[in-house]
Amino acid sequence: MSSHTGALKSFAKRLTLLLMVRGIVAWTTVWFFLWGVVVLAVRFSGLLKGKWLALGLLGCLPLALIAVIREWRRREEFSKIRAAYDELNRCGGVLMAEEVSDMSQWQAQLPAAAVPVLHWRNGRAFGLLGISAVFAAAILLLPDRLTILKAQHPLEIGKLVGELKAEVQTLKDEKILEEKKADETQKQLAQMQEKSSGLDPSKTWEALDHIKETDADLAKQAAEEALNKMTSLAAAQTLASAMQEASDDGMSNDTATRAAQDLASMLKSAKLEDGLLKGNIPKELLDQLNGLKKEDLQKLLGAIQFNKNSLNGTLGKLANLKLIDAKTLAQCQNAGTCTNCNALAAYLATCTNACNLASLCYGKGGPGGGGGTGPMTWQAKSSEENLKFNENALPPSAHLADAQFVGVSKSAPELSANDLAADHGALASAQASGGSANSQVILPQHRQAIQRFFKRDAQ
Amino acid sequence: MADTILKPEELQPAADLAKKALEQLDRVLLGRKELHRLVLIGILSKGHVLFEGLPGLGKTALVRTIGQILKLDFKRIQFTPDLMPSDILGSHILQQTDSGKREMVFQPGPVFTNILLADEINRASPKTQSALLETMQENSVTLMGTTRQLPLPFFVLASQNPIELEGTYPLPEAQLDRFLFRLLFDNASTDVLEQIISGRRRGELPAPTWQMDREQLETLFQTMNRIYLPRPVARYIARLVSATHPGSEEASEAVTRYVSYGASPRAAIAIAEASRAHALVSGRPTVGFEDVKTVAEPVLNHRLLLNYQARFDRMSPSRLVQELLGKLDETGLKLPGDVELQPA
Repeated sequence: MSSHTGALKSFAKRLTLLLMVRGIVAWTTVWFFLWGVVVLAVRFSGLLKGKWLALGLLGCLPLALIAVIREWRRREEFSKIRAAYDELNRCGGVLMAEEVSDMSQWQAQLPAAAVPVLHWRNGRAFGLLGISAVFAAAILLLPDRLTILKAQHPLEIGKLVGELKAEVQTLKDEKILEEKKADETQKQLAQMQEKSSGLDPSKTWEALDHIKETDADLAKQAAEEALNKMTSLAAAQTLASAMQEASDDGMSNDTATRAAQDLASMLKSAKLEDGLLKGNIPKELLDQLNGLKKEDLQKLLGAIQFNKNSLNGTLGKLANLKLIDAKTLAQCQNAGTCTNCNALAAYLATCTNACNLASLCYGKGGPGGGGGTGPMTWQAKSSEENLKFNENALPPSAHLADAQFVGVSKSAPELSANDLAADHGALASAQASGGSANSQVILPQHRQAIQRFFKRDAQ
Repeated sequence: MADTILKPEELQPAADLAKKALEQLDRVLLGRKELHRLVLIGILSKGHVLFEGLPGLGKTALVRTIGQILKLDFKRIQFTPDLMPSDILGSHILQQTDSGKREMVFQPGPVFTNILLADEINRASPKTQSALLETMQENSVTLMGTTRQLPLPFFVLASQNPIELEGTYPLPEAQLDRFLFRLLFDNASTDVLEQIISGRRRGELPAPTWQMDREQLETLFQTMNRIYLPRPVARYIARLVSATHPGSEEASEAVTRYVSYGASPRAAIAIAEASRAHALVSGRPTVGFEDVKTVAEPVLNHRLLLNYQARFDRMSPSRLVQELLGKLDETGLKLPGDVELQPA
């Protein structure tokens, strides 16, 4: 094999190889771009996860094979390659003539064999390949939260659901909410957190609002119940404490019996065995209320205090979860607080047969030993002389921001003497014959301009 | 064809003959080596050559020297407006024979020669110019129904002056197409002029020291016939000629813009023959792309009919051909645009 023949074959191989590599780069670039777009579409539609889509990049391998086969089939005729080699090496057609004849005798007169240089300006091709690869990688590595548009798009309700779960758990623990219902609600919340979609959040928000509202209602009911119980317990505590103190000061048996009956009534009205209270009054104490000794009273007071503490604890939890406000909490905690327990004890000690304990408002006894039955005395009315401000109850005002301008009345509205409250309300312009509640506030602004307008129309 | 490709020992004598002829031309006429080479290629191709240049540049001297070197019969006709066809071709005259009879006897004109120098051919009338059509194409003369063969080889080496165009008749396209080459004479360089005036008294040309006999010339022609034209080169010639036609597949933008009519198939034949001759002169048994590129411009420069736009833009046929040669891929390899082949 002459040197030119070898160089020519090498040139042909290199040319074919170069074109194959070029084809592979081009096809791979197209595939990366195409697959990137497909991945983008699939990920945005939420059909598949990114890791499975990454396998699609391997599609460039069969494509590379196709590119190789395609370039092999499209390869130039050897005669053309030989002609190019002949021209580039300035062989003057001698090598081309090898097609028809043996030119070995002329080979010695040809220039030295050299494989022509194949120059591929590949900057653009590899640049595009790099861009396409980065594009495909970026699409694949894009976080799910940025790509999932459909059902899987999570709604950011984790914090709210957590709060609601805590509320439901608390309501369940405090026996405000039934255990079965609480479990169902918990499941419902977990489902909502998992399946909530950003595309249609209203349904989720409505459901969460409903649960929140239900919790708040239950808490409100519990607070009302607690208020009643606290009031009864405080009253019972006050009476029991007064009874304990009065028994040392010589309270009569009759008074003690009456007080014990009242105490029993109070504890019964507290309904300690139902609802919120976890603790209870020991049954032996309730059975012996008529003959309670000082030690038993002490036990009773301890039991009442335990129940109060229990209620306070429950209310504190509800307040921490903001299911009840601070005002309600304070109202419950201060319910029935005794401010003058000593006076009641003194009254019990001194009271004989005429004691009317059933109507006593314990703890509100007046000064001077009048007790709860003491009449409330009212002094003469305060003078309003020299006062700069005289308080008057004003009727509710209409909000101009909510008003709609529909026209201007030609004259001042007529007011009925007995209906001042309605004068400024939503029914201000309603006519008696119309009977419509959908009345409008008529503002007196630009009245004259509008009057002129209608006058001109009339002309 | 395979067994006809010349071997080195077969080609070498012909190449030496061509080399000697060129050396003699270069010795007699100074400073026009490329032109001499093309003239010799024209003769080896059995083609006619049109010289174009200012007076005094050595056109006639070149033709005369060629005639001397090739030892061929040489005649010169000075073309003038009143020159008649019979002045070139010959005419019948009434002559009394020895027997006393009178008959029309053909008196051959100056065209009956091997090398005819048609000086200032564009000064003759179209009728007279056309008298050369048959002689240039058929190498024969037909008068009064009788066709007479011209002596072979027969070459017309015509000249024309690009200035003083008043009273001239531009050669018609049919006539131009019969010329293998149109060669332009440039002004001689300062060094050449110095050599001429210092070495040659009154510019007299030295006689050739070597002459080629008819047998040697025939050897050259026979060798020429065996120069191999490879298929890719033939394809290139065909593509090149096709590309001179506006609207063809490979026509360049300039061709489309400036050319009214492209080159004829005769141009393709001329390029192929001239390329063969160039390969022979270069000492090669085969035609390469470089041979085609060398001869394409003188073959095509008088065969392209340009439009008025070309005149406005001062576009010449030579520039168009060079532009075409630069753009047309020789091998027909359909490589992508970003892949280039370069010599090692």
